[in-house]
Amino acid sequence: MDRLRVMGNVYKQYWRINILTTLEYRENFLIWFAFTFIYHGSAIAALWIVLNRFPSMNGWTFRDMAFLYGMWMLAHALHNTFFSTVGDIPEHVRDGEFDRLLVRPLDTLFQAIATPGQVFPDELILALFTFCAATWYCGVVVDATFLIFVPLIVVGGALIDLAFNLFISTVAFWFVRVDALRWIVIQLEQEFTRYPISIYSRGVRLLLTFVVPFAFMNYFPARFFLHKAHEGAMLPAPVGLLTPAIGLLAVALAYVFWRIGLNRYSGVGN
Amino acid sequence: MTAARAPRFRLEPYVQFAKKAMAREATYRFDVFTTVASVLVRVYLLRMVWVALYARNTAPKELPLHAIITYSTVALLMGLVMDIDQTRLLHDKLHSGGIATDFMKPIVVPFYLFADGSGEVIFHAALIVPSLLLALLFVHIDVPGPLTLVTFFASFALGYLVGLFVNFILNCVAFWTLEIHAMQLIVTWITDLFGGEIIPLVIFPAFLQKIAFALPFAAMFSTPLLIYVGAIPPERYAWALGVQAFWVVVLALASTVIWRAGAKRVIVQGG
Repeated sequence: MDRLRVMGNVYKQYWRINILTTLEYRENFLIWFAFTFIYHGSAIAALWIVLNRFPSMNGWTFRDMAFLYGMWMLAHALHNTFFSTVGDIPEHVRDGEFDRLLVRPLDTLFQAIATPGQVFPDELILALFTFCAATWYCGVVVDATFLIFVPLIVVGGALIDLAFNLFISTVAFWFVRVDALRWIVIQLEQEFTRYPISIYSRGVRLLLTFVVPFAFMNYFPARFFLHKAHEGAMLPAPVGLLTPAIGLLAVALAYVFWRIGLNRYSGVGN
Repeated sequence: MTAARAPRFRLEPYVQFAKKAMAREATYRFDVFTTVASVLVRVYLLRMVWVALYARNTAPKELPLHAIITYSTVALLMGLVMDIDQTRLLHDKLHSGGIATDFMKPIVVPFYLFADGSGEVIFHAALIVPSLLLALLFVHIDVPGPLTLVTFFASFALGYLVGLFVNFILNCVAFWTLEIHAMQLIVTWITDLFGGEIIPLVIFPAFLQKIAFALPFAAMFSTPLLIYVGAIPPERYAWALGVQAFWVVVLALASTVIWRAGAKRVIVQGG
């Protein structure tokens, strides 16, 4: 119990430092916020431009696609806000900072997550607004199922993101430079989650469902809430509610891999 | 202080700078692999997207399905060269302060920066060939007649220069404020959208099309690509290339002005 209290305090300090840092570098924060805004804005604008000329993408309208995007954005922003620090681990390994975490009396992964930087929940706030606007815009019925499951699905989606972030960071224990690998996975996620996976060939659909399950971040849940069960008949509609379970499973697997990597790293005599 | 006589301009050092940059790029082998892999993944993705869109909607008559797939694929291959931050070295040098010693060397600093960028560009241009061959596994690409092809390459060259100067101006901003990474990314997203790299400008809604065609970004990707797929007919080639040349001149002049102002700052501050 004592240990949990210490971790709670450390985590509180972590957020305090983050917010103070952000307030200190205000101009820097503003320009990065503009970046976040324009990044998502231009992605949505591109969807709008295309679907303005071609009103249906395999039966999905711009309204449906906005919901699909909003759902991904919310889960992704939740991950970025709380776990983006996991992605800095390779850098800490490279410059030797990581060894300091190993000798301290708290869980290594927790310490890595709580390494202060300049994190601020701006993207998360923007994502919340976008998701609410998209939900209203596409006319999804907000009932008890929606209110109970959407938060769980968003957390599950963030966990899927975390699993890949942790997995790639763990690879850094073997290969020091993982930037290129991370870049490929990020690109795969960002570009392939933008469209309903029913437009892809069978192999890619299977890949996005079972191997790199990004389709659970937005496609399957959106298919359930938008009542598009008929399409991509691969799996039944309620599969869309399984995202939290998939997220937990993915993180569990990534964590096992992390422990193996960590044992190896601290065992080599570093 | 007696003004030193300007040394006679020799091309050779710049060729060496370019060669050195090429050798440097070639050492990051895994990055080469990911660059090509990423192009292939996107060729596949865009093909699927356009196929899905054309299957359920009426096709625009100036861009049938095979033309838009060709457009996207050629755009991605052009991106191998166009998306390089050719004058990043300037930003790095301003960060480290190394720019000060460069000003003392008997070289023309902007030429040195361009030479270094060119080495990188030539190296990446060589990647177009394997990327193209591999892309042909996923897509069929139309090949236009010789006149169109030659005009396309001329237009691509002009588009490259437009991109180079836009990029150079952005890197020059680092003379005033060192944190330019976010701003560069913002400009990249805007260029991607309004340059016609991902979505051909001709399928934009009318009012956005007007804006997009009035911006210099259209000269980077859109003009060469529309020439390639035949959406710009031969009788309008001269006009299209003329507009590109206009932007090259305007941006080159702007670059000169900004460079001079920036260089002066370094010299004044450095004593």
